[in-house]
Amino acid sequence: MNTDACPDGRRWMGVGQSSATEPRTAAAQAAHTALTGADPKLLVVWAAITYDLAQTLAGVRDVVGPDVPVIGCTTRGEICDGGANDGTVVVAAIGGPGFAVTTAAAENVAGRQREAGEELGRSVTEIPGLPHRVLMLLTDGLVRDQEQIVRGCYTVLGASVPLFGGSGADGWRMKRAYLLAGDRVLTNAVVAATIHSDAPLSVGVRHGFRPVGEPMIVTGSRDGRIQTVDDRPALDVYLDRLGAPAEAYTDKEALMRFALPRPLGLQRRNGVDARNVSTQIDLEGRSLGGGGSFDHGGLVWAMTGDEQSILAATDAACQEALAGLGGREPVGLLTISCAAIRAILDDEALRRDNARLAKWAEQAPFAGFYAYGEIARARGIHGFHNQTLAVLALG
Amino acid sequence: MTGFGGGAYHDGQQLLELLAVVSECSDEVSAAQAAVERAATALEAEVAAVVIDDEVTAVVGFPVGRVPAADLVSVACRERDNVDVPGVGRCHAFAADWGGGRPGHLVLARWGAQGFSVEERNVVRGMARLLELALTMLRTLQAEHEMRERSERQAAENAELLASLQQRQRLLEHLFDVQRAISRRRPLPQVLDMIAAAARQLLGDGAVGLWLRDDSDPQQISLVAGAGLAVDIERETPTMPLAEAGTVGAAIMSGGVVVGDDNTEGLASMAAPVHDSGTVTGGLVVVADHPGRCYAPPEVQMLQSFAEHVSLALTDANTVDRMHQAFHDSVTGLASRSLFLDRLAHQLELIGHGGARVALLFIDLDRFKVINDTLGHAAGDTLLTITADRIVAQLRDSDVAARFGGDEFAVMLQNVSTPSDAAKVADRILRGLHEPMRIAGRQLQVNASIGIALSTHGMTDPAALVRRADIAMYRAKRNGRGRYDVFADEMLLAFTDGETHPTG
Repeated sequence: MNTDACPDGRRWMGVGQSSATEPRTAAAQAAHTALTGADPKLLVVWAAITYDLAQTLAGVRDVVGPDVPVIGCTTRGEICDGGANDGTVVVAAIGGPGFAVTTAAAENVAGRQREAGEELGRSVTEIPGLPHRVLMLLTDGLVRDQEQIVRGCYTVLGASVPLFGGSGADGWRMKRAYLLAGDRVLTNAVVAATIHSDAPLSVGVRHGFRPVGEPMIVTGSRDGRIQTVDDRPALDVYLDRLGAPAEAYTDKEALMRFALPRPLGLQRRNGVDARNVSTQIDLEGRSLGGGGSFDHGGLVWAMTGDEQSILAATDAACQEALAGLGGREPVGLLTISCAAIRAILDDEALRRDNARLAKWAEQAPFAGFYAYGEIARARGIHGFHNQTLAVLALG
Repeated sequence: MTGFGGGAYHDGQQLLELLAVVSECSDEVSAAQAAVERAATALEAEVAAVVIDDEVTAVVGFPVGRVPAADLVSVACRERDNVDVPGVGRCHAFAADWGGGRPGHLVLARWGAQGFSVEERNVVRGMARLLELALTMLRTLQAEHEMRERSERQAAENAELLASLQQRQRLLEHLFDVQRAISRRRPLPQVLDMIAAAARQLLGDGAVGLWLRDDSDPQQISLVAGAGLAVDIERETPTMPLAEAGTVGAAIMSGGVVVGDDNTEGLASMAAPVHDSGTVTGGLVVVADHPGRCYAPPEVQMLQSFAEHVSLALTDANTVDRMHQAFHDSVTGLASRSLFLDRLAHQLELIGHGGARVALLFIDLDRFKVINDTLGHAAGDTLLTITADRIVAQLRDSDVAARFGGDEFAVMLQNVSTPSDAAKVADRILRGLHEPMRIAGRQLQVNASIGIALSTHGMTDPAALVRRADIAMYRAKRNGRGRYDVFADEMLLAFTDGETHPTG
């Protein structure tokens, strides 16, 4: 579809997309288009949940040899320049002597998220001559406590390696997401690729939501969920604050629809994190939860967003990622966005959002997917996000 | 960063979050590790470490096997104020210390041009104090557990030891309960009574009292909580001058623990100071119930622990108050201007392009300045409070009233169909305000001028609506005061054509 290579010819990135219905054909088409340079080092595959991932993998292997690392996952929508956002296979390929990639996978992750993160952290190596690194993680988005996977990586790697990635999705079915690791299709797992480069790799992240009204105090929490806010049932306070319709108080589907584009904001020192509270509904207990744990005493906000605020976040995330390239042009961008923003942006608005990404990428290709959670850690310790756009700029 | 979220409040929240995390841990190692991760998260720092006895006992932020232990110890000892972090570069570093039986340091390092601010350093110091408390308690629990196993083998001869261990076990259990109550934000009086009751039970004394300095006169102290007291402080609040307050007065003035000689009734007492956000604001005192009572060093420490928990509860409760103050007018208790505009923006967003409208009433008192100047500020404040009450009395629960400053008030009416709906409310407010007010011993009558503006289709900017109501209010003032006017587009023209905005 499109490609880019750095001026010194040492690194390139290409992106391909196909909406062919047969998975093997679609994957082969997308991979073929993505392979625009010699010496491919990594193929990342993002496929709609409707595709059989084993067949998708076979299609990729029809085009690329068995030695080239492949990772990937199923999605809630695919992102690339100009293409449809649903029902497709997108392949991003990077290559050239300026890149090197090692991959790893952790399996049976549920219940040992932190340990799995530590395992993947230990898989990260150093390669002489390629001083810049990023650890890209694709997780099974239906495993809880994803924050602990990222924290596990951090306890092993410290701040030495930026983290980037997202949680694989299943088209909002909430049943099972799949991951690609080399020649295997996994679930309940995390796959990782360490990208080594002789040029900078830079991560940016932003959410596009605004706090509404006064902040609220978490006065009761248990097992990472908020029981009470300002000493009242958390769910009711949240719905009251946002002026929710009556059915959202009693009907699970209506509540999910209402909460999806209205995250709960968690106050941090330099801003407010957005947390998706639409996936773990508790009508009986009237509690709120999702996207990581909440503690007693925390300060939270009800939040809303619209196209304008989300486009502004797209700008900010791209700007932040590109600023880290030290004046270099990117060879490409990987863009992982939250599935929940699709409740706010209709197809037309999604196209405008894609156009915004294309503007920042300039001539370079970009590819990614709509995820159940985003991973981006460049500064500080915190790296798992909800309702954000995470961007990796490859210099 | 949002415009809200006051620094003082947020700092209190960080301490509570740390408390919540470490109080879930069952041993020192996991508590220290949880604490460093929480501290790094709170300060958005790359690195956090605990250094005890020149050794790094917990750390996050470095690759495994590459922890620069000597550098972190140097930071803890104030020999350097930076540390090199792989992947990041040279980071500003800061350490907060704790003393006690096993001194230690909490070290933070963060990348960026700026080092840690004064407020951030205070947060780290607070975290270090809390961590010391948690680690000490966990260490003691562990030691007790081991000793108890041993003691049970030598039961009889160790009866005395066992008794003392059991008492300390009870201390720890009480303190955990108190910490949990604070972190769950139980009402302050309840927490303070809980601490007083626990102190009385464990020290086995006659009475325990918590005295706090009066806000208006710091040389005066009042009894706010207690256990085993002769007075019922729910019905009366004993007060006394600080200088005549014996042991507790001495503890407050010296800032340290004071063990008193027998008082006039021949009873010993001891007191420890309590703090709110680092300032001594009162004292916790115990009085013996029989003559000849002496206080041993472990009992002094026990009282200090309880006093520390009082300080924690007071600081926490007051940070909540401070947050409330950031969003509310301190005189009238109404919403502040910023909170009001935020609510208004949200309401405008909610109704969007729908049929419902929002009405904004801009209210200006007509004689406020004269009253303030002639009768004094206290009378002025009373006038504002009465005004606020009378405005609110005319509103529905869903409406919002705010004081914009000086003598200006604003009201947001939700779901209004026509200007005449809003005009009815304005009329009621005018009549309510016109009723005589008794202020500073005088009967006063005030008037107000009200401007009314309704949101238009698709209007999203709250400032635009406020400006319209302001212009209509100015028109009402020009038309003779004590009345309301509804905004009309031609007023905008007249206004820009030369009408000037009145001041005050």
